[in-house]
Amino acid sequence: MFRVPLYVALALIIAFGGGIATTLYALNASSGFGAIKLGAWEAFPRAQTADADPYAKSHRARAGKLLLGTAEGLKFTATQDDGGQPLRSSCRYRITGQTPPARLWTLYVADRGGNAPIARDGLPAGLNSWVIGRQPDSSFVISVAADAQSGNWLPLPGDDRAVTLALTLFDTPTAGSSGLIDLSMPQLQRIGCGHA
Amino acid sequence: MLKIVFTVITGLVGAALLHLIIILALPHFTGLDAYTGVLAKGDLNRFYGVGKRPDGSGLSDGDPFLQSAVCAFDIEDQPVRLVAGGDVPFWSLAIYDSSSNEVFSMNDRTSVDGGVDVLVASPVALTTLRKALPESLSQSILVEMPRAEGYVVLRTLSPRKSLEDAAQAFLAGATCDAFAIGATPGASSDQ
Repeated sequence: MFRVPLYVALALIIAFGGGIATTLYALNASSGFGAIKLGAWEAFPRAQTADADPYAKSHRARAGKLLLGTAEGLKFTATQDDGGQPLRSSCRYRITGQTPPARLWTLYVADRGGNAPIARDGLPAGLNSWVIGRQPDSSFVISVAADAQSGNWLPLPGDDRAVTLALTLFDTPTAGSSGLIDLSMPQLQRIGCGHA
Repeated sequence: MLKIVFTVITGLVGAALLHLIIILALPHFTGLDAYTGVLAKGDLNRFYGVGKRPDGSGLSDGDPFLQSAVCAFDIEDQPVRLVAGGDVPFWSLAIYDSSSNEVFSMNDRTSVDGGVDVLVASPVALTTLRKALPESLSQSILVEMPRAEGYVVLRTLSPRKSLEDAAQAFLAGATCDAFAIGATPGASSDQ
């Protein structure tokens, strides 16, 4: 006598539970399809446009961020290094190479949610293309670590937490470029963790 | 046994349908999207600065070298004219509709004389304006926007600390006023 309601209940639980769980997972996992991935760096050039996919539109409706327009720039974020390991503030990293053509770029450290972490007093909150020193071939080397480093240094928070690196290119044709194979972002290598 | 399989399949189909419905319907009622945040800043037709950390409106921009300001507008009755000027190394603006779809964006490289001078109007208003373009709009960039409600984001960079004051002045002096069609030339737009 209770068989039918039991089956109905089971079907409904799977429907609602599965539907909501997969939706939340999909929305939290990424900002939709249509990503450009260059090494460790990922960007979503069409996330703010009307022809973004439904996942991207749902994600931006929940995130409430002011996205960059196509003619403004393109924001790349890295949550893992080139080796696939998550970025942690207790480790030391080195960013080497060149960015795709852009008039200006900025680089800063954000927490896992993409918000800027507490800037450490007296230390630079980020780096940009105007202030870094370059190699003779105009590439650059940036050390990312909690302790002071010589050369270009991007400070990390002193504790041990997951961080995201945000490299934003301003006035760049990268977003609309069809020749993506020629574009390359800097390499992001992990040098060591802790005091190793 | 078969009944359990059917039950599970029904459940999975339901899950897929629910997933689809939520994804497609979500943008209409989150209340967390950027347009709601811009409206929460204050009045229409005024630029408000955006801080580095989320404030009451929920908007923020964590980039330490980027200064932004937002202005919500409604071009149902009158177009809106965006004007800003100053000595900054870079500025960019983007116009979004109320669903945060990008309508138009530009940066200072494509500006006429280095300053911001953009008129956003509905297709009907733009046709009226183009028939008899006022003198004051001769250098303006005219943007057509089919939907009435939207917002503008104006950004400028201060790569060095010494340039921060100029960036703040640029954003503080930016205006987002309604433009009266048919006003006598030179009367309302002495910016």
